[in-house]
Amino acid sequence: MLPLPPGGAPHLFVLMVIAALIGGLSAIERKGAFQVMLSRPIVLAPLLGWAVGDAQGGLVLGIPLELLFLGGVNLGGSLPDNESLLAGALTAMVVPAGLATRTGVDGPLAALGLALLLPLALFGRRLDRASEERNTQLLEEALSRAARGDPSAARVNLRGLLLPFGAAAGICALGVLASPLVALARLNCGALALAALEGSWHVVWAVAAACAVRAIRDSRAPALAAICAVTVVAITLAFRGLR
Amino acid sequence: MGALGRVFLRSMFLQAAWNPRGMQNLGFADAISPALADLYPDPVERAKAVARHLEFFNCHPYLAAAILGGAVRLEERVANGEAPPQIVSSFKSALGPPFAALGDGFFWLALRPVAALAAAATQPFLGMGCVLVFLVLYNAVHLPVRLWLFATGYLRAEGVVDAVARAHMASGTPFLKACGAALAGAVAARGILHAGIPGRPFAALLVASMIVLAWATLPRLGATRAVYIALGVGLVVGARFL
Repeated sequence: MLPLPPGGAPHLFVLMVIAALIGGLSAIERKGAFQVMLSRPIVLAPLLGWAVGDAQGGLVLGIPLELLFLGGVNLGGSLPDNESLLAGALTAMVVPAGLATRTGVDGPLAALGLALLLPLALFGRRLDRASEERNTQLLEEALSRAARGDPSAARVNLRGLLLPFGAAAGICALGVLASPLVALARLNCGALALAALEGSWHVVWAVAAACAVRAIRDSRAPALAAICAVTVVAITLAFRGLR
Repeated sequence: MGALGRVFLRSMFLQAAWNPRGMQNLGFADAISPALADLYPDPVERAKAVARHLEFFNCHPYLAAAILGGAVRLEERVANGEAPPQIVSSFKSALGPPFAALGDGFFWLALRPVAALAAAATQPFLGMGCVLVFLVLYNAVHLPVRLWLFATGYLRAEGVVDAVARAHMASGTPFLKACGAALAGAVAARGILHAGIPGRPFAALLVASMIVLAWATLPRLGATRAVYIALGVGLVVGARFL
């Protein structure tokens, strides 16, 4: 018997619908509409986490993901890895798994989920490229409609949002569908495996912090970051030592 | 809502159909359509104007608002017969690249990482409130600037270049980046303290050395491989230290 969220299979189905909707909308917001940063991992993961039942669990995933992909930018025609798709699918998979195991999103569950879904960031970039190639067809349609004297030719613009929405919605729904398997794996971990996975999550955090320093593209950034890190650690240790 | 309001609203969808051939051209033509509808009552003339705006266009999605506003003003002159249609086209192609560079440098490479780092650094104290820190810090700059750019573009047309130059957007970037570097350091310290305390100095040292190692090797490894190596290293040593 697979571990399911408290409400059983109907609950899982509802979570699939919610994750598909929010994941799909985030794919649109990321580049096609508004760009008020609702699709960044640090917002999307807690938001989707809240919608499927555990905002705090979403935040546990969102912060290291945000740091890992902090330096990725869309400059002209070059596309960054798709951090939103990864954040959406990971939250959709790991948060319901945490509900099913009654542990919430802890280090081992997060590390397990990230190991499984990390390639989605690269896959998402390919998907973006493909959907942009396909938008060329919309351009041709607009051009021929304008040539025929149709003044509303450019309205095809909004149809470019359909493909990113559908792809991300489907992938996030699959994430929810895979959550019982991840929950099962988490429940079958022994003490040693749990400690090892917990360690993995800490080291992922270390890589995320390094990515964050790299994301500040400035020659003084590493020195400034090192000074600040040492100061914060020293002050914290001194403060704890006094008590 | 007036035509200008609808143009601004549609500018939010500038990249909905971003394509390699024309880049933001479909979004631009769609955004300016409500203004063209007022200026060219004859549908055939209007379709010709829309077709002109289907030419190649690319810029930063926020800074493009200034060019869009300016293009509306120039289209008014064209519709009144005061200027030839080419004036709009050369305005767009002249301002696109420099404004793109300005927007990329300020919004993508400075404001966004710094706002996100401020949120990550304050999360231990604010919890869920850190999400608001990010959204408010970013959008309190983004949305007013976008509206200001559009309005200034419309009011000043070619004069928008001077107005943007006087806004000193680029000059705030080094200070923002310094804040970002300090915040990144604080975030790194948080990772070290979280792993190491209480009573796990080896785990803290492990995380600290992994940060330095990852920083040094990231350009060669790339983020994906670095994360998989980290997961592997963590699995191997994690069971012993934690």
